[in-house]
Amino acid sequence: MSTQAFTEASRPAKSAAGSRGRLRGSWRTGLLFISPWLIGFALFFAYPFFATIYYSFTNFNGVGTPQWIGFGNYTALFHDPLFGTSIYNTIFYTAFELPLSTIVALGLALLLNLDVKGRSIYRTIFYIPSIVPIVASCMIFVWMFNPATGIVNDVLTSAHIPGPGWFFSVTWSKPSLILLGLWGVGQPMVIYLAGLQSIPKAMYEVADLEGAGPLQRLRFVTIPMLSPVILFNVILQLVACLSYFTQAQVIENANIGGPGNSTWFYVQYLYEQAFQFLKLGYSSAMAFFLFVASAVLMVLLFRSSSRWVYYASED
Amino acid sequence: MDKAKPNQLVGSATKHGVLLLVTIVLGFPLLWMVLTSLKSNIQALAVPPVWLPHPVLWHNYPNVLAAVTFLRYVLNTLLYAALTIVGVCISSSLVAYGFSRLQWRGRDLLFKVMVSTLLVPFVATLVPLFVMYKRFHMVGWYLPLIVPTFFGSSIFSTFLLRQFFMTIPQSVSDAARVEGANEFTIYARIILPMAKPAMASVILFQFVYCWNDYLGPLVYINNQSSYPLSLGLNQILGTYTTNWPWVMAAATMATLPIIVLFFFTQRTFIGGIAIQGTGSKG
Repeated sequence: MSTQAFTEASRPAKSAAGSRGRLRGSWRTGLLFISPWLIGFALFFAYPFFATIYYSFTNFNGVGTPQWIGFGNYTALFHDPLFGTSIYNTIFYTAFELPLSTIVALGLALLLNLDVKGRSIYRTIFYIPSIVPIVASCMIFVWMFNPATGIVNDVLTSAHIPGPGWFFSVTWSKPSLILLGLWGVGQPMVIYLAGLQSIPKAMYEVADLEGAGPLQRLRFVTIPMLSPVILFNVILQLVACLSYFTQAQVIENANIGGPGNSTWFYVQYLYEQAFQFLKLGYSSAMAFFLFVASAVLMVLLFRSSSRWVYYASED
Repeated sequence: MDKAKPNQLVGSATKHGVLLLVTIVLGFPLLWMVLTSLKSNIQALAVPPVWLPHPVLWHNYPNVLAAVTFLRYVLNTLLYAALTIVGVCISSSLVAYGFSRLQWRGRDLLFKVMVSTLLVPFVATLVPLFVMYKRFHMVGWYLPLIVPTFFGSSIFSTFLLRQFFMTIPQSVSDAARVEGANEFTIYARIILPMAKPAMASVILFQFVYCWNDYLGPLVYINNQSSYPLSLGLNQILGTYTTNWPWVMAAATMATLPIIVLFFFTQRTFIGGIAIQGTGSKG
């Protein structure tokens, strides 16, 4: 991420007098202040990150020393059908959840940005689902979407629509999880709302003078002005989608829904290989593969962003 | 303007209509949770559905509390949250200070490194971390989740505090420097007291994070008496799948405190998210 916004607020340059010694002094002070993170970064990020790469070329069960096996884990991965299944499920989830959550969060923010009475009450209600504990929201959704006794299918039946099996159906289990995800988009919604409120009113006035309708205002003012915030949210959502785990694992652990391997996600498979079968080398290979894949996607996203993200000059 | 009036009325009615509809859709799951928690199992499963519980079975709640060690889970969670809040408040504010109130070579580069670690999937470090904590005999309780918070692991908190620190005029620090105060004094005596609202956001976020955290405890907590709320709830869901009123009572007890907390602290909450989001352009 570029840090234009950050550096701008930094303090004005010091007077040239005696700058060398003071600069070195301030260097030491600066490092001292950030030293908790520097230590944490080395211990809890850099070391385990490189260890993951190393383990991925070994056979390792957690005790004793890892045995070097070259690309063995990687070749095994590509012959493992469950690896493919978990990739498919994760891509499926990401491909729908990422655009849908962006649209829903943005749509809700636009609604909340309308000039109506009681906005703050609506905002509160729209935001609350995102702070409901994940296990509780899983409970609620599995119950509401229960094919035989849930309220959703009851209502559908009374409208003469046959309800699907939702979490218990191979075709509908992933869409059910996507719905569950969409219920909790409060976080990006609030960020979009803050972004919307920082768009200068004057821009809309100019658009009005030019005779722009509501859709044109959205297309030519709102979206471009919001595009840096959209990029920020999309990046965070992408990381979250690729690492999708908790909701699917809650349902797996409680033995409800997710028939077959229809909701068996990448990180769940990795977790199982690591912590249930202690195949630490194999799971490290999966972890490093995910890192490379997500890095490639990030680069593509940043490349594309130069075409659709608009940075207004800050002054 | 007279011509526009009926139009405006229609427009405002449409707006409220849409907002109300969305409110119903988003709010219904929580309403249904509470309603189900007060029903008998027979009523909960009835077809066609019984909308309102009759009679209202309040005793589902004490029954759940008697059947599972719910309060134990809550206590474990509170302890987990309290200790990490201490860690985050100390380390994130120090790091944020170094990244915002001081000018030094390499600062912006290191800051970029810190922010970009957010983009790395957590599993990229998970396995070696587990092996490391296992070697130090730290697996089994919350230490692997607490210790890193004292070393700036909560990057969102650091980021938020940094954004806030930058809004404080540099002249505040300069005035103190002239009087001979060192940087640590300025940090502790001047900047931190001014940053109370941002610190409040950080504390709230950390609390909600711990209250909801599932993955961390799943990896490191293997003893049921140490379970946090999330793992306890998961067990309730697995055990009582045929007794939905109980499951919903447990869900309500886990959700209500967090909603109440949110109601009283909304401003701090939403303000904090907005700082993070808009400060991160680019």
